[in-house]
Amino acid sequence: MSTLQFLIDGFSIAAQWHNLLFAFVGVLIGTAVGVLPGIGPMSGVALLIPVTATLTSGMPTSAAAASSIILLAGVYYGAMYGGSPTSILLNTPGESSSVVTTLDGYQMAQQGRAGAALAISAIGSFVAGIIALIGLVLLAEPLSNVALKFGPAEYFSLMLLGLAAVSGLAGKSITKALIMTVFGLMLGTIGIDAVSGIARFTYDMPVLYGGLEFLTIAVGLFALGEVFKTIFEKDDEDGKIAKINRILPTKQDMKDSTAPILRGSILGFFIGVLPGAGATLASFFSYISEKKINKNGSKFGTGRIEGVAAPESANNAASGGAMIPLLTLGIPGSGTTAILMGALIMYNIQPGPLLFDEHPDIAWGLIASMFIGNLMLLILNMPLVKVFAKIIDTPKKYLLPIIIAISFFGVYAVQYTTFDLFLLLGCGLAGYFLVKNDFPVAPLVLALVLGPMIENNMRRALTISNGDFSIFVDRGLSLTFLIVAAAWLIIPLLLKMRGKKVIINEEG
Amino acid sequence: MSKTFDRYAGIAFLLIGVLFVIESQKISESAYGSNVGPSIFPTCLGVLLILLSIRLIYETFKYKTQETEKGSMQYKKFIIIFVAAILYALLLEKIGYVITTFAFLMISFQTMERGKWISSIVISLAFSLGIYYLFSVVLGGALPGFPQF
Repeated sequence: MSTLQFLIDGFSIAAQWHNLLFAFVGVLIGTAVGVLPGIGPMSGVALLIPVTATLTSGMPTSAAAASSIILLAGVYYGAMYGGSPTSILLNTPGESSSVVTTLDGYQMAQQGRAGAALAISAIGSFVAGIIALIGLVLLAEPLSNVALKFGPAEYFSLMLLGLAAVSGLAGKSITKALIMTVFGLMLGTIGIDAVSGIARFTYDMPVLYGGLEFLTIAVGLFALGEVFKTIFEKDDEDGKIAKINRILPTKQDMKDSTAPILRGSILGFFIGVLPGAGATLASFFSYISEKKINKNGSKFGTGRIEGVAAPESANNAASGGAMIPLLTLGIPGSGTTAILMGALIMYNIQPGPLLFDEHPDIAWGLIASMFIGNLMLLILNMPLVKVFAKIIDTPKKYLLPIIIAISFFGVYAVQYTTFDLFLLLGCGLAGYFLVKNDFPVAPLVLALVLGPMIENNMRRALTISNGDFSIFVDRGLSLTFLIVAAAWLIIPLLLKMRGKKVIINEEG
Repeated sequence: MSKTFDRYAGIAFLLIGVLFVIESQKISESAYGSNVGPSIFPTCLGVLLILLSIRLIYETFKYKTQETEKGSMQYKKFIIIFVAAILYALLLEKIGYVITTFAFLMISFQTMERGKWISSIVISLAFSLGIYYLFSVVLGGALPGFPQF
């Protein structure tokens, strides 16, 4: 079947009424998550995994996985939309990926052009979402065909590359990021070894035989960690919300921002495809490059619409681009996609090149639903932008305890053990202290997801080569991956040593 | 960032690494015909973690201590909510989801901000009963709802 046929099939799945509903709920919650400072896309997605698992419990596995991944992905790209209203109206970015939007967006709001800024960020995000989807459709098949030729050695090296990329960009200190990565890999070894069936590090505790549940750790580290942080450190004043007068942008606005939107989308998409570089970097780079290219670049920072259009398109395109390595290679390039992957694995669906062959309904259904979801976001965001901006007024005193309660419910509903609740609390505490001291937690979660796969592929490769480690460097592709992985770690180090400032990706 | 935290974290990770290496030696060799047993990967990880923590501890001697800005830390609020969460986890299976959730939310709401009892009660009650109803009754999930006598 041709790609087009698959895409049409995908649409027929995404257009089923329950999947439409799931996509709608996903983007709605995603927007809310994006608006609320303190809850990022990672904790939003992690929190919703148990909820979707419950909602889809009656369906057949494959359909359940498709529906829940549609919802979860909706949260992910919905959050990219939601980050902009608060950046523009309040000068407080709801997401780290919207930080650069504040530069021109808030200025525009001060000049009474908040509506135009919001509208252009919604339109830009929509265009970017569509461009990213076209890229996804075009690249998915060829990439997964290439990936089908990979042996265990290639997979091992490619996963190391993914880990290296995320660690290299994940924080102020590479040492700390690497420690978190290795620690995550270690946590992944707890439980019954999949190859030999031998229990490792379980100390005869039955709860440990299945290994530590990835969901518990992700919810604890991200969601609870952030909640604890907000409880601990009192937030100061709430800013004044700027007034929104006219929502539709003028013709001049549209003319000015068409090119930046297109450039931002394409740049953002390719940055998103790269492992380790997420939406935050994408919006940052696109703002910088737009400043250089655009004829009005020197006026950036004074409320130019181009300065809103480019980064807002880029961060959305990046979130679409980030789906490519996840779906085609089975390797998440960021914290959020790692969580999405964990969700798929929970349904016993292995993302990767075989996904398009074995579960075309999930892969193409997701792609089609992203198209529909982006359309929903555009329709929702234009008239409802005032309503969304109000979400930020949700009193923290109610929000925080309810997030704790939701994570308790979610973890218990999936795991049914009190042990996981304590693990959850422990991870929340650990997450708070680690993040506070610049230990990035995204590499840990990524390592926890990839760990067992890395180990299996390593051992398979070594079994093929009779224990000879040179198999990883003898095979050309594998060697290339390893070299790129090493470069990803070494280049930022070299740059730092020369005193250059390295942009880091805080979104994860 | 705090230097002391980094140093202690470095030492803690170092110990974890050492323990990991020692413990992985105890993993029994598999009968499966391969010389790549289940202990190789953990051992490598342990060694890596040891090296990295040494590097981290070494780094803490190099950089200067930065002034950590002390915001108004709300230890009391946090400790109350955290203890309430521990009790919540302990009692969830014993006295059921609805009562523990209600109690936990009430305590947390009132800890975050005193007063407004009515809205606290309404939200806590709606959340605990709502989730229980949706999950157990509508979706047919298993959740210990009420104390069992």
